[in-house]
Amino acid sequence: MRRTLKHGLIATALLLAQAPAAEAHIVAIRLGDFYAGALHPFTDLQDVLLWLAMGLLAGSLGAARGRWLVALFPLGLLAGLALGARVGTIAANPAIDAVIAVVLGLLLAAGARVPTVLLCVMAFALAALRGAANASDLAPNTDRLLFAGGLACAGYAAITLIMALTLAFRGPLSDSSKDSSKDTSKDWRGIALRALGGWIAAIGLMMAGLAFAS
Amino acid sequence: MSLRSLRTLPLAAAAILLSQPALAHEQADVGGGLAAGLLHPLTGADHLIAMVAVGIWGAQLGAPAIWVLPITFPLVMAFGGVLGILHVPLPMPEVVIALSALVLGGAVALRLKLPFAAAAAIVAVFAIFHGHAHGAELPGSANPLAYGIGFVVATGLLHLCGIVIGTLTRWPAGERIVQGLGAIIALLGGYFLLHSLGASA
Repeated sequence: MRRTLKHGLIATALLLAQAPAAEAHIVAIRLGDFYAGALHPFTDLQDVLLWLAMGLLAGSLGAARGRWLVALFPLGLLAGLALGARVGTIAANPAIDAVIAVVLGLLLAAGARVPTVLLCVMAFALAALRGAANASDLAPNTDRLLFAGGLACAGYAAITLIMALTLAFRGPLSDSSKDSSKDTSKDWRGIALRALGGWIAAIGLMMAGLAFAS
Repeated sequence: MSLRSLRTLPLAAAAILLSQPALAHEQADVGGGLAAGLLHPLTGADHLIAMVAVGIWGAQLGAPAIWVLPITFPLVMAFGGVLGILHVPLPMPEVVIALSALVLGGAVALRLKLPFAAAAAIVAVFAIFHGHAHGAELPGSANPLAYGIGFVVATGLLHLCGIVIGTLTRWPAGERIVQGLGAIIALLGGYFLLHSLGASA
């Protein structure tokens, strides 16, 4: 055990020591645009908050409703990015982001059973909006295909992971769509998810206040 | 979640932390704003004890208060926060915040069993004043959005602390400890109230 730990520490030290050098090579061969697209949304709190809210809502509704987002969300990001790159800079509107956060947070807090079609439309629209917002930082020399690939991969990975973690957290007993006779609203895991919805809606409300104040 | 998947988490965290991509729209001082927001409810003793008292009282009242409170309180508080951001004045905010600790601590100490609607109304009024105090400082923060996220999360965690403390009421000795804690909160609230009245006089 101690030996494994020692090897692990040495491997970690080596990883830390060589990380910056490896990154320079990736950028030099222009794959950096892929990573720029993949990590760009995670540098914006609006993206992080809204993606998280969407994933939590979809995950809380169960696998049957949420699985469509695995494909739709990255496609929406690509559609928005293409639109943003074609039309020109589409500045992200803080008030719209705030309203989306409030709506998603309230739906999660209320434990609303959002129909699958509506959930898909909401997810695609949100992804398109955020995709267009991410297009605003495309430079003339950016490889757009690589950037789009990175963004779509990030969207796919993030939404799938958040939904999967939410589903795993809720557990099979909480999936009321399978057994409508069980009232799961009192289940603490469901309550914790709904409390998170309250937090997201509260943050959205303050974002709206900030948008109106500025 | 299996133990094997948990073992991959440190590796994933290291991969994310080690990456240094081209961050075109990196937001200004997210860490600073987040830290300021997280610390604001924790460094103000009047906020801190009132938020913990809300959680304890919710636990004492039982369902539905124990689960409605953590869901709705941040929303009502954020409404107060918006009033603060927009500089909408509220009457004697410091006095009401101190009063909130006194009233909520007293409710815990006396095991006050009010109807849910009445308890919710009392907590909602205090939530608006607490939110107003946080919101007034929000636009001046280095990163207002990060500050807002920080203070909502900190407030929610303080409620959680209160609810966890409130679970002691399952045992007779725990009930007495909780009531004693309520009395201490009420006394502190009284002290803050006298102090704020003295300051405003």
